[in-house]
Amino acid sequence: MNLSPFTVWLVACGLLVTGGFGIGQTAKYAQVQNGANQVVLTHWALQHIMARHWPDSPATGAGKFQAGITEATLRDMISEAFHNGHARQNTHGRSGTIYEYDFQRQIGTTIDGGPATRLRIVVNSRNEVVTAFPF
Amino acid sequence: MHLDFRLNEDTETDWASVTEEDLRYRVALGNLIFRVGDKDFSAAWEWIPLVDLVASFHEIVRKLESGSGSETFEFTESDAWIRFEKKDEKVLVSASYGEGVGEIPLSELAEATKSFRERLHGEIVRKHAHAAHNAAVTKLLGSAVPRG
Repeated sequence: MNLSPFTVWLVACGLLVTGGFGIGQTAKYAQVQNGANQVVLTHWALQHIMARHWPDSPATGAGKFQAGITEATLRDMISEAFHNGHARQNTHGRSGTIYEYDFQRQIGTTIDGGPATRLRIVVNSRNEVVTAFPF
Repeated sequence: MHLDFRLNEDTETDWASVTEEDLRYRVALGNLIFRVGDKDFSAAWEWIPLVDLVASFHEIVRKLESGSGSETFEFTESDAWIRFEKKDEKVLVSASYGEGVGEIPLSELAEATKSFRERLHGEIVRKHAHAAHNAAVTKLLGSAVPRG
């Protein structure tokens, strides 16, 4: 995949979703521009990332972001990885594209607690971030 | 070889409208139980999307049977992986998070994957009746008839 033509904008959901609705229901995320050259971080994806990869997440076996991360810095890192990272097709029937970028500095911890410098993001065919984690 | 799962309880998902992406990343989560001989590649992380896992294993087996020499399953929320390397009619199994290499006949891996798929399908449909009519569930788990 040739990324060079892309001018990438990371458009994050800053508006709030109200009410409790579960997976499988319509994701009500604020928009956001929906051009082909942008990647969108929905409210759902942000919640997903925070649940598994935030520094205080109890999830085991998942990379964790470094203490002090904010939504804004996450968006910045996703944008940088999308702009500059190595892209490859998602694996074994999963749709979308995987982007991996090495920040050359610690951004979190690996699943065994070691320093993680790289970020992997998964972006679906609608240019929405599905997940993102350090490794 | 022992290939099995533990499905988390889930009372929030609307199974009538679950999408393939939901199944790949967000629902039907649980643990993998995977032992090959004396090697244990189980992963009790609670967040493993089990439908995605068995659909991926199914695809991996299909590729190995079709002549591929090596396939790697990547977990969705970490860089952890399980590698399957074909050696004649056997498969060498290793994992980034486990020690050693296990060896099993490809036919046994195929049968265990099929059984896993059927049992997972059965448990999901038993707990969530709407899943039986969901197109994404059917696509990834097939129209497998659970074993008695």
